[in-house]
Amino acid sequence: MTARDIFFVANEVNELGGVARWQNQIARLLSERGHRVRIIGIAPPEVPMDLGADPPFETRTLYARRPPSPRPLPRLLARADLAGLRLEAERRAVMREAAARLSALFREGRPGAVIIVTQVWAMEWVALADTAGHMVIGMSHESYDYSRQSSRFQRVLTHYAGVDRLLLLTQEDADLWTGEGLDNTGFLPNPLPSEPDTPSPRTEKVVASVGRLSHQKGIDMLLDAWAEVAPRQPGWRLRIHGAGELEEPLKRQCTSLGLDGSVEWAGQTTDVTRALHQASVFVQSSRGEGFPLAILEAMACGVPCAAFDCAPGVREIIRDGEDGLLARPGNASELARVLDRLMGDAELRDAMGERARHSVRRFAPGTVADQWEGLFRFLER
Amino acid sequence: MDLAPDISVVVIVYNDAERLPTAVRSLLAQTLRNVEVVIADDCSTDGSYEVATSLAAAGPRRVRAIRLPHNSGGCGEPRNQGIAVARGRYVMFLDSDDTLPPNACRAMLEAAERTDADLVSGLCVRVHADSRHDRKDPWYPWLYRSTRTIESIADLPDLMVFDTLSTNKCYRRDFLLSSGLAFPKGIHYEDLLFSAQALLAARRITLIPNTVYTWNVLDKAEVKSISNRRHEINNFADRVEIHRRIDALLADRAMDGLKLAKDTKFLKHDLVLYLRELPFLDDDYRRRFARMADEYIAGFPPAAYAELDPIHAICAYLLLKEDWANLMPAIDTLINRQKISAPLAERDGRVYWCADHLDDPQGREVLDVTALGYHTRPLDHMAPRNRLTGYAVRDGRVILDGAIVNPLGVIPPGAVLTGELEFRARRRSLRSFRFPVRTLRHAGESVVWRAEVPLARRLRPLGIVDDVWDIRLRLDADGHRTATRLTAGNTDLGDAEPLSVRPLLSRLTADRLEPEVSAKGHLAFRLTQHGPAVRRTHALVERHLDGPAANAGKRAYRAARAGWRDLNSGRRKIQAYQQMLRLLPVRRGTVVFESHLGRQYSDSPRAIHEEMRRRGLPVTAIWSYAGDRPEGFPEDVELVRRWSWRYLRALAQAEFWIDNQGYPLKLDKRPETTYIQTWHGSALKRMGFDEPGYRMLSEPEQAAYQRSLDRFDHFVVRGEHDVRTLACAYRIPGEKLLRTGYPRNDALVRARETAAPDAAATLIAERLGINRDRPVVLYAPTFRAHPGGRVREFEFPFDVDRFADRFGGDLTLLVRTHYFNRIALPPSVAGRVIDVTGEPDITPLLLLADAVVTDYSSLMFDYALLQRPMVFFAYDWEEYSQDARGTYFDLLAETPGPVARTEDELFAALTDLSGVRQRYATRLKEFADRYGEYDRGDAAARIVDRFFGTADAGDDE
Repeated sequence: MTARDIFFVANEVNELGGVARWQNQIARLLSERGHRVRIIGIAPPEVPMDLGADPPFETRTLYARRPPSPRPLPRLLARADLAGLRLEAERRAVMREAAARLSALFREGRPGAVIIVTQVWAMEWVALADTAGHMVIGMSHESYDYSRQSSRFQRVLTHYAGVDRLLLLTQEDADLWTGEGLDNTGFLPNPLPSEPDTPSPRTEKVVASVGRLSHQKGIDMLLDAWAEVAPRQPGWRLRIHGAGELEEPLKRQCTSLGLDGSVEWAGQTTDVTRALHQASVFVQSSRGEGFPLAILEAMACGVPCAAFDCAPGVREIIRDGEDGLLARPGNASELARVLDRLMGDAELRDAMGERARHSVRRFAPGTVADQWEGLFRFLER
Repeated sequence: MDLAPDISVVVIVYNDAERLPTAVRSLLAQTLRNVEVVIADDCSTDGSYEVATSLAAAGPRRVRAIRLPHNSGGCGEPRNQGIAVARGRYVMFLDSDDTLPPNACRAMLEAAERTDADLVSGLCVRVHADSRHDRKDPWYPWLYRSTRTIESIADLPDLMVFDTLSTNKCYRRDFLLSSGLAFPKGIHYEDLLFSAQALLAARRITLIPNTVYTWNVLDKAEVKSISNRRHEINNFADRVEIHRRIDALLADRAMDGLKLAKDTKFLKHDLVLYLRELPFLDDDYRRRFARMADEYIAGFPPAAYAELDPIHAICAYLLLKEDWANLMPAIDTLINRQKISAPLAERDGRVYWCADHLDDPQGREVLDVTALGYHTRPLDHMAPRNRLTGYAVRDGRVILDGAIVNPLGVIPPGAVLTGELEFRARRRSLRSFRFPVRTLRHAGESVVWRAEVPLARRLRPLGIVDDVWDIRLRLDADGHRTATRLTAGNTDLGDAEPLSVRPLLSRLTADRLEPEVSAKGHLAFRLTQHGPAVRRTHALVERHLDGPAANAGKRAYRAARAGWRDLNSGRRKIQAYQQMLRLLPVRRGTVVFESHLGRQYSDSPRAIHEEMRRRGLPVTAIWSYAGDRPEGFPEDVELVRRWSWRYLRALAQAEFWIDNQGYPLKLDKRPETTYIQTWHGSALKRMGFDEPGYRMLSEPEQAAYQRSLDRFDHFVVRGEHDVRTLACAYRIPGEKLLRTGYPRNDALVRARETAAPDAAATLIAERLGINRDRPVVLYAPTFRAHPGGRVREFEFPFDVDRFADRFGGDLTLLVRTHYFNRIALPPSVAGRVIDVTGEPDITPLLLLADAVVTDYSSLMFDYALLQRPMVFFAYDWEEYSQDARGTYFDLLAETPGPVARTEDELFAALTDLSGVRQRYATRLKEFADRYGEYDRGDAAARIVDRFFGTADAGDDE
C-alpha cells in the first residue's frame, strides 16, 4: 500500500455544515490509513465547526478575509467601466498570488499525491495553480438537479471539465453530468457519519426532523403534511431540531395551522444520536439534497425514515418500502400518508428500522475509505 | 504487478496513411495509460503500413503493427487478425478515420471491472466533418441516457436492434475467444452480424452514457462510403443475407421477442433506406429490389406491423403488392411526412390511403388512415402532393406541367383557382420571384396546372451565396390557400435546352441555370458555370470566399444577423418593455384583453368587453391574439399579436389589463395600470403554490413567481370554494378578490332563468347542421399528462362507432377535448358525433347542450348553473386523482350526476337522461351553490359598473 500526500481544497476548512463534517471525517479516515492529509480552505469560515481534539491533519487557509466575487457586467458596458476593470484585474492578481501559495504546497507532494477539490468555487484557485504530476479529483456534494438551480451548474461544467475525475455522490448524478458532456465522471457515496452501538428503542411517539430552518429543508411543507397527519394520529409529536433564518415565519405557520399542541421546536442540537434515540420516526422534507447525512444517521440508529424523494442520493440510501418510505417531491399529502403508515404501525417501524440499521452498513466508513483508495489506484493505471 | 495491457485497441487501416496517425495519437493520449495499440493493415498500397510501422517504432511498448498478406476488402478480417494478436484483457476497435475521446478507455474499463460484464457499450457520436460547424449527431442516444447492466440482450432488444455498431463496444478478450466470435468475411454489414453474435453470447452487458467513439462522417465525399452506397442492389442483398444469419441465431435460441423487434426495425429503418431511392431508379432495379425484399419480408408476422407509423406499413404493404402506382406517392409521404400524396378513398365511413386492395383484410387494416384525420382538415392545413409531369425549355422560358392531388375532393369542382410559382433562394432567402400559373383545372382526382416562366429574363440572382433556388406553387381555391413543392421524381429534366442567366453581380459568377432534384425529391434550380471565363472567375470567387476579406464580410454579416436576432429576442424585448414602462405615458381608456394566452376571443374577458360595447363606453379595446392569423375576433377592435412590439407597447401604456390566465410572467405591470384577472375555472386539481412542482422551486424562483402573481390587482371568484383553493394557491389577499362570479357565466344564469333559446347557441347549431329536435349531449373530457408533465395524446375512452350506432338516431354528441388535445373522428359517425374542439367559445356550446358528459373538467362547475343533467365518466379516477398533483376534494363523493366507470355504464346513463335529471335535481342545485354561489348573472355588469361606470351615452338597448 502506498502512503500518499492528500490535499483537500475546499471553500473553507471548517464551515459549519454537511460538507465540512464529511471532509473532516474522510480526512480522518484517510489519515488512519497512513496517508498524509492536509486541508486547505480558500476563505475563513463564517460559522466555524469544531474539528475535534488533535485533528490528524494539517490545515491552511489562503485568504485572511473572504475574497470578492467577480463583478458580472454586460459585455459592452464592461469595456467602458474602467474602474470595474481595474478592480477585476486586482482581484485576478490576488487570486494568482493565492494560487502560487497553493502551488508551493502541491509541490511538496510526493509522486502519487492526490488533490481533492471539495467544492467548485475552490477549483477556480486549483485551476490557476500548478498541479503537475498529481491527480486532481473534483467534487460536487449536491444532486445534479439542485446544481441546476444555481450558478454552480455552469461553473461545474467549466471548471471541472479537465480534472482527472469529477466525483458525484451517485451513479444517477454521474450519468446526468455525463449527459452534459463531462466524460470524466464517477461517484462515491458519503460514509456513515456515526455508528451508534445501540439502536433507538423506538418507544417515544416522536417524529424527528433535523436540519437548518431554511428554504432548502422545506419545513414549510413538513408542517403542511403534519397538519394532515396529526389529527389522524393523536398523541404523536413532531420534534423539529435546528435553527435558521426561517424560524419566525415557520413558527407563525405552525400556529396558524393550529399545530402548536403537537409540534416542538427543539432548537439546534449538538448530539444528533441522542435526538434520534428519542424518536421513532425520522422525516425529511427537503427541496434539494446530495447524499443526506441526517438520513444516514437516522438509519444507523434504526429509526425508519419518511422523506421526499428529492435527489438520487435519497433513493440510493432509502430503498422505498423496504427500509424507509419515500414521497414524491413537494407532495405534502403523500408525505402525510407515508408518515401515517409509519406512525400507525409499530411492527412496520421496528421491521423497517432494523432493516435500515443493517442495510445502511454498506456505507460504513471502512468500506467508503476502501473505495477511495481503490479510486486512487485506478486513476494511476 | 499485472503486465498485460488493460485494453488492446485494434486499429484497422486501408489506404489511409494520412489519417492513421491521428487515430493512433487519440489512443496514446488516453487517460488510461495501460492501453495497447494493434494496427492491422489490410494490405494497403499507399504506404499505410509504413506509417504504421513507424508509429510502432516510436512507441515500441504500446504500439504494434501487423499486415494482412492480401487485401480482404472489408473491415472484418483485419479486426479478426488484430484480435488474434491482442494481449489486453479487453479489446476495442477503431477505424483509421475515426478517434477515441480521451476518457473512452478509462470509462470502458471502469464499467467492465465494476460490473464484471463481458461487453460494455457506450455512446458513439457522429461528427460531420465537412459541415459548417462540425455538426455532432449522437448514435441512438436514448439507449445511453444512463448506466445500466443487463444479464441478457433479451432484456434490452433495442440495443441489438438499433445500435448495430461493433466499434462503440469493449469486449473481454477471453469472452471473444471462448465464444469463438469473429467477423464474417467477404460481405458488407459485418458489424451487424458480429455485434449480434457478441450481444447474444454475452453473459452480462453494461451500457454507459459516456461518449466512447468519434465517428467522422464525410457527407459530401466524392465516393460514397460502403454504408452510404445504397444504390447498389448488391448492398441490399448483403443486408438481407446478414439479417437472415442473425434470424437463424435468434431462432436457435428461440428469441421471438428479439426477432419481432428486429423485424419492426427492418421495416421502419432498413427498408426505408432503399425505398427513399426508388423514385429515382429505373423499373428494372425496382423490380429486382421488390423481389428480394418480398422474399424476406413476406415471412414477417403481422405483429411486426403493429408498432409502425401508418406510412411505413403502407409502403411495406404496397411494395409486397408491387403496386408502383400507389407506392411512389406513398414514398413521397415517407420522405415528406406532412404531405398528403394520395387522393385517398372513403369507404363505409373509413378513410383509406387508396381505393385498391380493400378486399384484402390486411390491406384494409394497413391502408386505413382515418386516425390521421386527413379528412378533417381544410385545404389550408394540408400539404397535397404536387407532381411535376412535364418540363421543357423554350426561348429562355421554362414550361412546367404538374398535377396537384386533390385528397377526398377537398378542392371542390366549382372552386375558383388561382396560383403562382414562387422561386426562393435556399440560403438566406432575402429575395423571391413570383410567376403566375396560367392554367389550373380539375382533372379526375387531381388539379392539373401549367406555367410558362420567363426564368432567363426575370430570375436575377446575386450570383454568389444564392446558388440554389427552391420552388413552391402557392394555390388559392376559393380563398383557401396551400403551398406545395414540386415533386420531380424521375421526370426527365436532362434533355431540355440550357437556360442562361444573368446574375446581378456579374455574369462572370454564373451563366447557366440548371434544374436538379433536392434530397427530398423536389425540383430546384442551381446556378452553374459553363463558359471558360465564367469558370475561371468562379474558381477565383470560391477561393476568395475563404480568404481574409470574405471572412471578414461573413463575420460582419453574421454579427449583423445575430444583432437582429438579439434585438428581437425575448430578453431584449423584456428590457425594452421595462424602458417603455418608465418612458411612455399611460393611455387613458385603453384596455388590453387576452383570453387563454391569446388563443381565442372568449371567456370572461369577452363577456366584459361585450358588456362595455353594449353600454357604448368610450374605451379603446385592444385584443391580443396568438398564432399567425387572428380568428373569430370582432372587426372593430385593435388586434395585437402576443409578444409583438405592438403588444408590448399596448401593455405598457394600457389603463387596464383584463385576462383569464396570465400575461407573460416576466412583464412587470406599472402601478397606474389596473389588472383584472378573471381566471378561467374553479379548481379540482391543485393549483399554483399547492402544486408540488411550485412548492419545490428554489427561493428565487418562488419569489419571481410570486412577483408575477402580485401583478393582479383584482381576482374574480365564483364562490368561497375559489377563495379557499385558488386565492390561497396564488396567495391573493382578500381585498383583491372580486366576489362577482364569472362574467362568462352570466349567459348561463340568464338561460336558466328565462329558458329562452340562446341566439349564439342557435347560430352554432345552424352552422354545424345540428337537428335540435334531438337532444344534444356535449362530451368534454379534460386532458391527462404523463408522469413528467407532458400532455398525453387523446384517445376515446369509449368506442365512438358503437356510440353512434346505438345513439345516433336519438341524440347528437358534440365532442370537445381540452385545447391541448386534437381528435379525428371517422367519417362513419358524421352528423351523429361532431368535433367542436375548434369552437372558440365554450359558453354557447354549454347553452346548446341538453346534457354533458365529462370526467374532471372544470366545466362541471359552470354547467351546473344550467341545472341540466351531467354524467361523470370517471374511468380513471384513481390514477387521475393520485398523480403528482392531487385534488382539492373527493369528486366521486360529491358528483351531481351518475358516475360511470365503464363504457356500458356510460351508455346506460345516457339512455335515461330524463331519469338522471329527476334523480339529481337537488344535488345539482347544491353543487352549483357550493361551488359558485356568486354566479348570479350580473358579473359583467358589476365589474363594468365598478371600473368603467355607465357611459354618458347611456344604455342603448
